[in-house]
Amino acid sequence: MKIHALISQATRVTRRYPLRSTLMTGGVLIGIASLALLTSVGEATKHLTMQRFKNMIGTFDTLMVRPGGAKSRGMPTLVNVPPTLRFDDAQAIAQLPEIKSVAEMQSAFDIDIKYRDKTASPGVFGVSPNWLALRSDELAEGNFFTEEQNSALARVAVIGTDVRSALFPEEDPLGKTIRIAEVPFQVIGILQSRGAGPAGGSLDNVILIPVSTASRRLFNRDYLTMLIAQLRDPNQADIVTSEVQTLLRYRHSIRPPELDDFTVTNPRATMARVTQAGNTLSRILTGVSVLALLIGGAVIMGLMSIAVSERRNEVGVRRSVGASQSDIVVQFMFEALFVALMGGLGGVAIGCGAVLLGARMRMMPANLLWQPFAQGIVLSLVIGLLCGIYPAWKASRIDPIQAIRF
Amino acid sequence: MIQVTDLSKSYSRGDKGLVHALVDVSFEIAKGEFVVVRGASGSGKSTLLNLIGCLDVPTSGRYLFAGEDVADYRDKQLARIRNQKIGFIFQSFNLLPRTTAIENVELPLVYLDGRVDRKRALAALERVGLAARARHFPNELSGGEQQRVAIARALINSPGLILADEPTGNLDQKAGAEVMGILQELHKEGRTILLVTHDDEVARYARRELFLRDGRIISDRTLPGHGHSTAIGGAR
Ligand SMILES: Nc1ncnc2c1ncn2[C@@H]1O[C@H](COP(=O)(O)OP(=O)(O)OP(=O)(O)O)[C@@H](O)[C@H]1O
Ligand SMILES: [Mg+2]
Repeated sequence: MKIHALISQATRVTRRYPLRSTLMTGGVLIGIASLALLTSVGEATKHLTMQRFKNMIGTFDTLMVRPGGAKSRGMPTLVNVPPTLRFDDAQAIAQLPEIKSVAEMQSAFDIDIKYRDKTASPGVFGVSPNWLALRSDELAEGNFFTEEQNSALARVAVIGTDVRSALFPEEDPLGKTIRIAEVPFQVIGILQSRGAGPAGGSLDNVILIPVSTASRRLFNRDYLTMLIAQLRDPNQADIVTSEVQTLLRYRHSIRPPELDDFTVTNPRATMARVTQAGNTLSRILTGVSVLALLIGGAVIMGLMSIAVSERRNEVGVRRSVGASQSDIVVQFMFEALFVALMGGLGGVAIGCGAVLLGARMRMMPANLLWQPFAQGIVLSLVIGLLCGIYPAWKASRIDPIQAIRF
Repeated sequence: MIQVTDLSKSYSRGDKGLVHALVDVSFEIAKGEFVVVRGASGSGKSTLLNLIGCLDVPTSGRYLFAGEDVADYRDKQLARIRNQKIGFIFQSFNLLPRTTAIENVELPLVYLDGRVDRKRALAALERVGLAARARHFPNELSGGEQQRVAIARALINSPGLILADEPTGNLDQKAGAEVMGILQELHKEGRTILLVTHDDEVARYARRELFLRDGRIISDRTLPGHGHSTAIGGAR
């Protein structure tokens, strides 16, 4: 009951000195708003990166082998492919006992596709029939090509949704004949949309054709852009990675100190690196806003300390009508808590608004996480508590006799 | 009600040594007395009132308030006495700024049990004739009105002892007479009143006078008659 009255005294005081209270609230408000906003941005970005990475990799129980040395680590580059990874390398890797299956891939990005008067230039991928399963991609309509069609160098194609909308805005593409570099192919399937990749570009602007057909009829190449090896046990990724390296070095007659002419990536490890980078980003952003919050806290502490000196008479009067030292401490603590909480709530509201606005303007995903906001409220209370201690203590030490002498 | 024995208070002033504000003061005040404390400026009047009001602690000596030795009391217990048993009135009113009259009057209730009772505060304001000014801020009130608000605040917990340190010092004759009229009524209700003043007119309301010089009581006498108070009472 008494504490209730003291809280009410504290909130009244904050109303009686609106300018000072606004300044005190402002510091915390800016801190909490930036904390809530920046952590939201950080978390959302991390989330988005992971999602896009997943879109691109498909399954995680795989290794990716690309031609060329380690200079282009990270995301695979699909242009300027060195001719060092061959079909028989793929077959040799498939023989390893830890490998379930291997999918081969050749690609080209400068080929025109035509259907009647419409053209498109998507990425053309020659892939083995098990590609779909290894990427855990799915078909929206139709069928994928079979082992038999691959062996028979069949001219069949499965198209991505971007190609569909470019070439067949109004027609059903299934069964239609398109021309890939003037070679006619029949559309037999349509891929499910995969959304954006790690760099933000669409992953749906693709055409998949049998890899043998691509190799012999279209590209005239016997080397691969990439192969994907599926592991029997995803936990052995590291061991199998070095096994594949040893095998390929032997097959390519590479001896130390010569470097690999291929690169094996383990999607799990890459994913971990990406996540790590995202975490670092969030941490930096959090650090920045915690700094803002500390400044807000310092503002509260400074202004309250000044206020205590200005309010000596008030403290003396309160003591003379029956306030104990602890009553004074409680009142000043609640004043600090109250302004800090107001700042916290205001900051959360502004942070929330900014996140929603950002999402609306498509600058960031509409991914409103509650944690940064809950964190903000709790932090503002902690700040209020810590910053109230010194002024409250100072106020309680005021000698009432000195304070009420005119 | 008040028993003071060899009470002394010294203030240290750093290098300049000690100031002996009160030196071995002894007296008793019975319940219901109206006592005026007089003496030159710096003679220790305020110091004495602050000690009796439990706002300050003596350097030495004994102070029994209602038979209890206050020296043993902790801050919380002293605060409780100030809150329930003593009402202070100061020369400079000491109302909280930016706070309405009624909120000022309610202040002691906050520290009593937190049950802030508007009606009680309003009754106290009515008592000093200021019910109509309940929502006014101190800077919207005259000096006399401010002092009456301060009296209402001192009264709200119905204390037995009123300590008034030059309550009319900042007021003109008329406002001062009003304030003294209220103090006189409080005395008639049986409250003990200890008043500090420099003003002979004001001192006449009391029945007993303690005279201080350099921190010592040099005279303690009963004042003659109080026909004057009736005259003022009639004038009100
Ligand atoms: N906190 C203090 N520190 C040092 N000296 C003090 C302190 N308070 C009072 N004094 C000294 O103690 C003496 C008595 O002061 P006190 O205020 O009791 O006088 P007073 O009789 O009330 O005077 P006045 O009529 O001017 O109000 C004075 O000399 C004063 O300077
Ligand atoms: Mg004085």
